[in-house]
Amino acid sequence: MNKKVLSMAVVIVLLIVVTLVSATTGSIKVGSLDLIQGLFTGTNKSVQIIKDLRLPRIIVSLFVGAALAVAGVLLQAVMRSSLADSGVIGISSGAGFISILFVTLFPKLFFWLPVFAFLGGALACFLVYALSWKAGLSPIRIILVGIAVNATFTGLGQSFNYRGSYAVTQVNQATTSIFTMKTWTDVEVIVTYGTIGLILSLFLSSWCNLLSLQDKSAQNLGLHVARARLIISIVAVLLSAIATAIGGLIAFVGLLVPHIARLLVGSDHKILIPFSALAGALLILSADTLGRTVLAPTEIPASIIMTVIGGPFLIFLIRKSDRMYGN
Amino acid sequence: MEINNISFSYDQKVDQLKSVQGEIPHGKITTIIGPNGCGKSTLLGVMSQNFAPRAGQIILDGKAIPAYKPKELAKKLAVVHQHNDAPSDLTVEKLTAFGRLPHKSLFSPNQEEDEQAVEWALTCTNLLDKRKLTIDQLSGGERQRVWIAMALAQKTSLLFLDEPTTYLDIFYQIELLELIRNLNERYGLTIVMVLHDINQAIRYSDNIMVMKNGELLMQGAAQEIITVELIKRIYGVDVLIKEDERTGLYIVPVGI
Repeated sequence: MNKKVLSMAVVIVLLIVVTLVSATTGSIKVGSLDLIQGLFTGTNKSVQIIKDLRLPRIIVSLFVGAALAVAGVLLQAVMRSSLADSGVIGISSGAGFISILFVTLFPKLFFWLPVFAFLGGALACFLVYALSWKAGLSPIRIILVGIAVNATFTGLGQSFNYRGSYAVTQVNQATTSIFTMKTWTDVEVIVTYGTIGLILSLFLSSWCNLLSLQDKSAQNLGLHVARARLIISIVAVLLSAIATAIGGLIAFVGLLVPHIARLLVGSDHKILIPFSALAGALLILSADTLGRTVLAPTEIPASIIMTVIGGPFLIFLIRKSDRMYGN
Repeated sequence: MEINNISFSYDQKVDQLKSVQGEIPHGKITTIIGPNGCGKSTLLGVMSQNFAPRAGQIILDGKAIPAYKPKELAKKLAVVHQHNDAPSDLTVEKLTAFGRLPHKSLFSPNQEEDEQAVEWALTCTNLLDKRKLTIDQLSGGERQRVWIAMALAQKTSLLFLDEPTTYLDIFYQIELLELIRNLNERYGLTIVMVLHDINQAIRYSDNIMVMKNGELLMQGAAQEIITVELIKRIYGVDVLIKEDERTGLYIVPVGI
């Protein structure tokens, strides 16, 4: 119990610290106190610039991280596999591809990007289920089919990038994950849908717990297993789609964060989900802050930082952890 | 509970259950026996709504079981499966509390009743002092008892157990069967279980169902139905049937 409380406290403190550090470092520097004062009074010019440029970026990073991490937890519960992640099984790339497709065909519908992303994610998720279903779900088959679906959508998405500069600049948002140029409009979109998804996921924690038993056990306890799976999947797709629509493709968050979270706070989803949300937010904000300060003024996208950290770290975790589904 | 003309097939080609007709007597212990692959566990699965039959229906309290909502059915019928999965860091107490799910609703939390039911389930299964331990800290016998505790927390009048003694050594087997008998005698639970050991089936059940090749050959009290011919016919084993003052009927295999 102590370990759980401690881990939760540490993540919250780190999150606050990193947020302050991120807001105060960069090409314009202000002190933390000046920043907070400036935000309320609106008289400090540097603070106003930070508010317009840096704050949206920070909020987007936080929500993208939280959404992807929680989507990972949900998918792992539904698919009973610790390797499930919206980046790995193609939900993110499906969301990305359908967004590009529609925005290229109908540039005027740019505002509906999140909806297209959701449809794309849902399509990918449906394909993964439909193609891997064979008298029940097998974790390994889901992952393999998911990798294939991911490869297909990634390929389709990349083929658009070769169509010329028009497509690249127009749809940049859905395919790469540089958090520069994030505006308060982006913030509005991700905060609205992200909050809905995150709150819904908290309500789903007891279903997620039951799904960690066998399907027939959960069913004998009165759980409508198929319905629970469907609803949890929809929320997971919503979260990963919105993260992809605003933040671009970022791999590994949904894989890495739930793994660490399980080691720290255990597998009860009532605490695993909120903890993963906070840890995911912390991870992406740290990656983005690191990316824009290490080689300033050059920026390294958060997605690249994530893959560079994520790969080795995942190997480390797999070698260390025994608390996984499916063994 | 009535079993009405149940046929079931996994692949829609070969029937694993062929027009099974029978009845589960209320308040009694019923044991299904039969050779491997004869459809014992399948029948239990159909009776607990895990598999949908190709034909026929299971009637519980005058109503076919698909007509029940999942939660309503889970208030009447609890199942302990042969293989069970749970996160290894789950505590005994929390796993047992999963059994309260059918009684939970969003609008009327009934915490006191939940706690009492969990307390009762842990007492019955003798797990009170282990309640804070996690699943991976338990022995095989204790782990099996936790799953029974979860089923008991559902507070049903029917309890199904699929090969509850498999993988346990003889001490835990007997401990478990005594627990099951105790539940039946003290709380009037109707019990249906699948067992491999014929002597245990004879000793611990009021009613035995004998299956072979997906068919229910006969059902009744051990004294009435267990004969040398029957055992030869269903298992192909020659046995001696003895009776002892203390143990009652028992069989000894002598050859094939």
